[in-house]
Amino acid sequence: MSFILGILLFVVVAGRLDARLPWPSATKNTP
Amino acid sequence: MAERHEEYAVIAGHFGFAAAVKARAPSVPLWALMLACVWMDVLFVPLFAAGIETIVPLPGTQGGYGEGIIHADYTHSLAGALLIAVTFGLVAAIWWRSSVALVLGAVVFSHWALDLPMHHADMPLLPGNAGNFPLLGFGLWRWPWVSAVLEIGLVLLGTFLYARAASRAVEAAQPTGAPARTRVRYVTAALLLSGLVTLGLNWFGM
Repeated sequence: MSFILGILLFVVVAGRLDARLPWPSATKNTP
Repeated sequence: MAERHEEYAVIAGHFGFAAAVKARAPSVPLWALMLACVWMDVLFVPLFAAGIETIVPLPGTQGGYGEGIIHADYTHSLAGALLIAVTFGLVAAIWWRSSVALVLGAVVFSHWALDLPMHHADMPLLPGNAGNFPLLGFGLWRWPWVSAVLEIGLVLLGTFLYARAASRAVEAAQPTGAPARTRVRYVTAALLLSGLVTLGLNWFGM
């Protein structure tokens, strides 16, 4: 359970919250 | 009994390391870093379910935190880890810049490097332990408290470095952006709580 919950919390929850911050883009067609 | 022991591995520490990497490689999405850092374990799950890779309790123990011999002879072999990391990086390069893919591939391999000091000697060089070379693992798990402190230390360090980098990114983009600063606090709190919850459950065998 700790592994699955860890993925949900870190990847989904923290990842979604982080995506709202003004980080530089990772995609190829942007500097 | 086997599935009872599937969770007793390093988990929170990998996520903490991934948060620290985000601070140095801000263009790499955090969710991708978090997925990359445990990708070897994600691949372990179906092999474990199929009985190809297993975990057995260390003799004389109940198989609690750090008391498992992990026979992940494919996903956690040195050559297997390198192959998994390269594959992950190549797939990431389809959508993202090569520098981003390189970081993600390295983070996938960091899983093996971080497991090495913790594991009992159960990590082979080649998949399936071909060649019967000596198994690797420095066995810090013999001292569970030390292992847990190191894991939580990685979570705290990673969260601190992430929060500092995120604050700087927000200041640069929106110097007066109070909502963005609040979002930084949300992510920081999520990282800390996630680390504590994950390690806590892991410690108590859940």
